[in-house]
Amino acid sequence: MPSSTAAPRRSRDITGSGLAFVAPFLLVYALFLVVPLGMGLINGFTDASLVGGDREFVGAANFAEALTDPALWRSLGVTVVFTLASTPPLIAVGLLMALLTHHLAPARWLWRLVFFAPYVLPSSAIALIFVWIYQPGFGLADALLEMVGAEPVGWLSRPVAAMLGVVLATVWWTAGFNFLLYLAALQAIPGDLYEASSLDGASRVQQFFGITLPMLRPTTGLIAVLQLLASLKVFDQFYLITGGGPQHSTRPILQYVYEHGFTNYRIGYASAVSYVFFALVLLLTAAHLSIRRRREGRLGHA
Amino acid sequence: MPLPPDPAAIAPLPRRRFLRLAGGFAASTTGLAACGTADPGSSLRYWNLFSGGDGETMARMLAGYRARNPHVDLDEVTLEWGDRYYTKLAMAGAAQRAPDVAILHLGRLPAFAPGGLLDPLRPDLLARAGIGGADFPAGLWRRSHHDGRLFAVPLDTHPFVQYYNVEVCREAGLLDDRDRLPPLDGPEAVRTALRAARRVTGTPGLLVETAGEGVTPWRLFWSLYRQAGGDLLTPDGTRSALDDAALTGVLGFLQSLSDEGLASTGLSADGAIALFSSGRAGFFWHGEWEVQTFLNSGLPFSMTRFPGVFGPPLAEADSHAFVLPRRPDRSAEEHLLAYEFIAALLARSATWAEGGHIPAYLPVARSPEYTRMRPQSLYRSVIDDVQLDPEVWFAGSGSRLWSEMTAILGPVMDGRTSVPRGVARIHQLVQDLLDTPNPVS
Amino acid sequence: MPERPLTRSRARAGNAVLLLIAIALAVVWALPLVWAVLTSLKPESETTEIPLRWLPREVTAEAYRSVLATEEIWYWLANSAFTASAVTALVLLLSSTAAYGFSRTRFRGRGALFALVLAGVLVPTEILIVPLFQEMVFFGLVDTPWGVILPQAVLPAMVYILKVFFDGVPRELEEAALMDGAGRWRVFWRIVLPLSRPVLAAVGIFTFITTWNNFLWPFIVTASPESMTLPVGLATVQGSYGVRYAEIMATVVLAALPLLIVFVLFQRHIVRGIAHTGLGGR
Repeated sequence: MPSSTAAPRRSRDITGSGLAFVAPFLLVYALFLVVPLGMGLINGFTDASLVGGDREFVGAANFAEALTDPALWRSLGVTVVFTLASTPPLIAVGLLMALLTHHLAPARWLWRLVFFAPYVLPSSAIALIFVWIYQPGFGLADALLEMVGAEPVGWLSRPVAAMLGVVLATVWWTAGFNFLLYLAALQAIPGDLYEASSLDGASRVQQFFGITLPMLRPTTGLIAVLQLLASLKVFDQFYLITGGGPQHSTRPILQYVYEHGFTNYRIGYASAVSYVFFALVLLLTAAHLSIRRRREGRLGHA
Repeated sequence: MPLPPDPAAIAPLPRRRFLRLAGGFAASTTGLAACGTADPGSSLRYWNLFSGGDGETMARMLAGYRARNPHVDLDEVTLEWGDRYYTKLAMAGAAQRAPDVAILHLGRLPAFAPGGLLDPLRPDLLARAGIGGADFPAGLWRRSHHDGRLFAVPLDTHPFVQYYNVEVCREAGLLDDRDRLPPLDGPEAVRTALRAARRVTGTPGLLVETAGEGVTPWRLFWSLYRQAGGDLLTPDGTRSALDDAALTGVLGFLQSLSDEGLASTGLSADGAIALFSSGRAGFFWHGEWEVQTFLNSGLPFSMTRFPGVFGPPLAEADSHAFVLPRRPDRSAEEHLLAYEFIAALLARSATWAEGGHIPAYLPVARSPEYTRMRPQSLYRSVIDDVQLDPEVWFAGSGSRLWSEMTAILGPVMDGRTSVPRGVARIHQLVQDLLDTPNPVS
Repeated sequence: MPERPLTRSRARAGNAVLLLIAIALAVVWALPLVWAVLTSLKPESETTEIPLRWLPREVTAEAYRSVLATEEIWYWLANSAFTASAVTALVLLLSSTAAYGFSRTRFRGRGALFALVLAGVLVPTEILIVPLFQEMVFFGLVDTPWGVILPQAVLPAMVYILKVFFDGVPRELEEAALMDGAGRWRVFWRIVLPLSRPVLAAVGIFTFITTWNNFLWPFIVTASPESMTLPVGLATVQGSYGVRYAEIMATVVLAALPLLIVFVLFQRHIVRGIAHTGLGGR
């Protein structure tokens, strides 16, 4: 008798406390993620304005306008170019830093400090430093170029140079993050792999290509995906260093959203563009997942 | 968080300071709310976009106001100029977090007044503070209205002007026997002067901002294009009225300057200012507000009105004006406090004029204190020829029109975009702007 | 790694090359910050000299004095410290309870709810700025600390990380405690959380650094300088001075200091934390 009543009560207790455990998070999650996600979708089909007034249902007009606006495609292009230009150096520099630090055991903390320090700075500090460095006339970047006999670049006034300037600033700022991921991965490679191959007479270069790089491949994959997602969402560096100029040649997609939604008050339109962007992110994520699944499938068969 | 102390026990100013310092902004909002209910008159939040020389001048004027009005806790905020400032002002207004008084360019009024972001001013209370339409230039006063209601009180007019380095120009033989630069009228006069200056310094005779986030390209273009008789829009503001001959003439002239090495290329505003301060060029075309920067640098310079290249010496200008961002519960006392603050600054706008701006308040603009000011009053005659932006929602200082036009004009001026392509892009832009639904209607 | 004696001298030469490369890279990496510090120590008139001078002719703390004399930088510092701490505390609390709930307890709809939370990982919060701002206007939270904090406290990825961790913790200890009559909450607080200290530290450190440096959302939701965080204030508010590079660089150095100091002091923890939580880079 006691046992038959105790068991259900016990399970009911667990159920109750289970909901209590997840409820606080779910509440905040619903309020600040699910609700705005829904509001954004509804907005996208209206002409809602930042400054109030009546909003009207406009059908898919916002989406049609977004997809036919060359400026939006241009912003998308900026984002793509930035991704392509920044990802390889970010991976290569991060890897180089990690290899150096890993092999130079004494004073490892010092290398770690120097390489990683920029990552803990806020984007606006990075922007102020680099705007100062890129100043024509008395800027450090041009002065360094002059020392090696090159012409001043006009960093923030030419589209290509401005993009390059932001890429350089970004590499300086965030390579330290990839560096840490690589360093952790290097330290996780079992030492006996190297011992065994040294006994077989493999050189260090052979070991690097035969052991180190293959063992780092999952980390490289992770970094590439993180980098891709981060580059898609880039805003701070561009907004703060170039302001999107010259000629909107460095205006990434989020700045396009910001300018239309807040500067031009067009909340409805900006919401629609946000959703177009969201769809793109989902598409890329899905592509990534399916590629990974296929690759894992192949490995499984092999 | 500490409990707010008894409002009666402590004077307003220390109370708010204490609260704010005690707990960061959590406390500051509490302090603000407390002030709002306890004694509404005692605090005044004022936003502006003045940095550089203007910032220093405004700081002096505010210090004077504080000294004369110790009972008012004046909270001044300076945000970055341009669309960043206006975006914040609009967002704060939409969230009912706007300040009591703010600076707005009159050219931006069509983007702020219709959407309900501003409170209309109350002429009866304005009159009690001693402010009336008769004390302002008629054009500015008219542009301070929207839909028949008054929304702004102008502080100044700030035209596009020409700075010149006196030593360089003297050595180039450009100055008259009174050591002044005669008016440069017509494209050839300008070119000749720039060539002469270049011979002296070995650098382009003219410094002009064409890159970065700046807006000089628009100002320069609008001055020249208006001189050539061009219009942007039809008078009702609904259709494009672009004049291809005038556009081609203006863009061609600007490009020819850099082609011939007479004008700098690729400079940001900061870069151009720094180079002119260090005496590296004969001429600098810009807004007049860098006067203090150059006076402080000890540079031998003077100023003139902008040259009449294509006709009468019309010059682009906008006007800083005071507005009241929307506050549904603003009481008569709060209106009056704001108006008295505005009146106090207007009455001392001769100080403001030291920063280069032409005072809008006529009693000051006509006072000897201003008319004797050098070089600040040397270009004051331009007040009759200033060209404000078209009166549409997408125009005005730091507007979308400005940033988009500057994005087109900068590369044309630097010689990286051809003139016909520049003209085509301007047509496209104006059409795009007209096609964009008006978000404040 | 151990090496055979014959190759030792070659390895030593190789190490010297590595050291040189590392030094060169470190110099390049230190340069921007060093340049900022050098600029901040110059008198204003020296900053725009051509040709450029590396060292100040006369070292002065003038720039720091005038920056520290403004009230704003102190608000920004206080606001950043407060919001970053509050977000970190909230994330740790909300994510660990939710993760534990999903990992250990059973209730109707658990699978669906967890799937919903996982789906949230796919949503870039940046696309929500416009509706979130409207929501904050509706709640009257614009320009308030909670307006800055609450949306940043939603990190579904952290729930996932912690759930994976809890899934791997052996249940025996908890079951023993439950047998002894302890409630679920007591078990969570007394047994599970202490066991999870390393992963919580990793999540906490990562959240703190990210929040401290976050720009976009605090930039959107704050309006007045006294409610801004350090990164936002730095980028938005102008001093009433001209283009004064020494002062700007002094502000940058002051803004960089807090986290740099934290990083130097807790380097080991932070490195481990980032490596473990390696998500959501920039």
